[in-house]
Amino acid sequence: MEAWKPWFEVKKYILQPKFYSFKVVLNNLYHLTYLWKGTYGTVFKAKNRETHEIVALKRVRLDDDDEGVPSSALREICLLKELKHTNIVRLHDVLHSEKKLTLVFEYCDQDLKKYFDSCNGEIDPDAVKSFMYQLLRGLAFCHSHNVLHRDLKPQNLLINKNGELKLADFGLARAFGIPVRFYSSEVVTLWYRPPDVLFGAKMYSTCIDMWSAGCIFAELANAGRPLFPGNDVDDQLKRIFKLLGTPTEEIWPGITQLPDYKPFPLYHVTTTWQQVVPQLNGKGRDLLQRLLVCYPNGRISADEGLQHSYFADLNPAIKQG
Amino acid sequence: MAGNFWQSSHYQQWVLDKQDLMRERQADLKVITEDEYQKVMIFFSNFIQALGEQLKVRQQVIATATIYFKRFYARNSLKCIDPWLMAPTCIFLASKVEEFGVISNSRLITTCQTVVKNKFPHAFNGDYPYRIQNVLECEFYLLEMMDCCLILYQPYRPLTQFCNDLKPENDLLPLSWRIVNDSLRTDVPLLYPPYLIAIACLHMACVIKQKDVKQWFAELSVDMDKILEISRQILALYEMWKTYDEKKEIAGILSKIPKPKLNPSRPPSTGANNQENNSQNSSASQSTQQTTKH
Repeated sequence: MEAWKPWFEVKKYILQPKFYSFKVVLNNLYHLTYLWKGTYGTVFKAKNRETHEIVALKRVRLDDDDEGVPSSALREICLLKELKHTNIVRLHDVLHSEKKLTLVFEYCDQDLKKYFDSCNGEIDPDAVKSFMYQLLRGLAFCHSHNVLHRDLKPQNLLINKNGELKLADFGLARAFGIPVRFYSSEVVTLWYRPPDVLFGAKMYSTCIDMWSAGCIFAELANAGRPLFPGNDVDDQLKRIFKLLGTPTEEIWPGITQLPDYKPFPLYHVTTTWQQVVPQLNGKGRDLLQRLLVCYPNGRISADEGLQHSYFADLNPAIKQG
Repeated sequence: MAGNFWQSSHYQQWVLDKQDLMRERQADLKVITEDEYQKVMIFFSNFIQALGEQLKVRQQVIATATIYFKRFYARNSLKCIDPWLMAPTCIFLASKVEEFGVISNSRLITTCQTVVKNKFPHAFNGDYPYRIQNVLECEFYLLEMMDCCLILYQPYRPLTQFCNDLKPENDLLPLSWRIVNDSLRTDVPLLYPPYLIAIACLHMACVIKQKDVKQWFAELSVDMDKILEISRQILALYEMWKTYDEKKEIAGILSKIPKPKLNPSRPPSTGANNQENNSQNSSASQSTQQTTKH
C-alpha cells in the first residue's frame, strides 16, 4: 500500500468557500468605520457600497497556536444561529479571511448606555415601558430556548432608530439543559449581578437574567442612573441589602450554604420604592419589586413579566412586534 | 438547547432528503460502490469514536462530532478534504460547542498519531501527517460547510422520555440506547428528526425483547412508514456487519478514493463534481490570492 500523503495543500483550490470571495467584497464594497471594542473583538460599522445596506462587523483575531475559533465566538455563533427574534440581534453571516473571523450582524445605531447619555437625565415613560417590554420579550425567547444571557447590561442592549431593542453580545451566554451543569460564577458585570451569584452560587438558571433585567428597569426609569453601582463584591451586596433588607434563612432557604456566603449586618428597609424610582408609576414599581428579589426562585419569569398589568396600556404596535 | 427542535437550524436546514443526499454522493459513487461508501463512513465513525475515547470526551461530544463529519461529506466529495484530517477537526469543534472545553493542540495531534499507530495500522500506512495548523484551517471549512449550524439534537433525550412513558419496568432503555449509537453508523441522523430515530430504535428494542407495545405506538400518531424506513436502514447495517471484516477490507476501499493531485502551484482544472463551484468562485479566489500576497 502506498504511503498516505496529506491532501491538504490542494484542497484550497478544490473547496472555495464564500469567505474568500467575501474578503474582496469586504475590502472593495464595504466602507468600514471603527465602532467599539466588544468582549472578544473589535466592532466596525460597514456600509455596502452597492446595496447601501449597513451592517456591524465584529472581527475576531485568531491566534495560530491558540484554540482555533475562540469558544466565546463559537458560543455566540451557534446560539444566534438558533435564536431568530426581533428582540435579538441578527447574525447575518460568518466570514473567514486571513487570521480573522468576521461576524456580520444587523446594525443598530446605539446601545442603551449611549442612549442614556443622549437623554440628559430625562426619559419618556412610554420609552421606558417599550424598552422594558422588548427586553423581557427577548429574554422570554432566549429562556424558552434554554439559553441564558448571563451578561445583561445597558452596553449589551442595542437600540435602532425605530426604537427596537435587541439583546446582543452572547459571548457569555450558554445553552443550558438537563443535566444541569456548574457554571463559573465570574460572569455577570458586577452592577447587574444577583446576590446569589455574588455569594458564589454555581448553579443558576433563568433567574440570573431576571435580576439583571430588574436593575436595568430601574436604570431606565431613572434615565440612566445605575441602581447598584458597587465598587466590589462586598459593596455591591451592601448596596443591595440596604435597599431590599438583608435576607435571612427564613426568606431565602439555603443562603448560608452558598460557597462565598458571609453574614452582613441586618439592614432594614428604610427607602421606599417611590424614592428609588420616583418617575415610575405604581404598576411599574410592582413589576420592579417582583424582579429584584434576593431569593432566586422568588423572581418573576420573563413570561410572567410580559403579562404584568404595567404593560396593559402599551402601544399595541410594540406588543405585536 | 432543548425543546425547540422545530425552530432549530437542525430541523430547518439539516434534515436532508434522501434523493439530495444520493445526488451529492454521485461523484464518490463513480469510484466506490454505495456499500463501500457506507463502509468508509463507518470506518471514520469508528476513528472518531476511538479518538474521543482516547481523549476521554463524553459520548455526547463523539455523537456530535460524528454528525458534523457526516454533514460535511453530505455536501462534499470525500476527496475535497482528507477524512483523516476532518475526523479530529470534528472532535475539536464538537468539544468546544458541547462545552467540554478546548482540547489542547498538542494533545489532539499526539492522540491522532497514537490512535492511528495503535488501532488503525491496517488502514493507515506511515505516520499521521497533519499538524494543528491544518486542523485549525479545516475547522473553518467545516464551520462554513455547515453554515455555522452547530447545535445538534440527539435522539438520547427523547428516547429517555419515551422509555419512562412506556413504563420503566420494561427495561428497554439500555438496548434501545445501543441501537441509537449504532444508528450513528448509518445515514439515518442526516435524514430523520432525532425523535423519530428514538422511536424507531425503541420499536426495534421492543421487537427484540418481544414486548407487546402496539397500543402505545398506536397512540403516538407518528408516521409509521418513516419509523419502518429508519428500522430498515439500521437492520441493513446489522446485516452488513454479519459478513464484513473491516480489518481486511478497509485499506482496499480507502485506496480507491480519488486523491486530488498534489499540484499547489495553480488551481486544478475544474473537476466534474466541482464544476459549478469552481466557475462561480474562481475569479474571486484568484483575486483573493493576489490580495493575500501583498
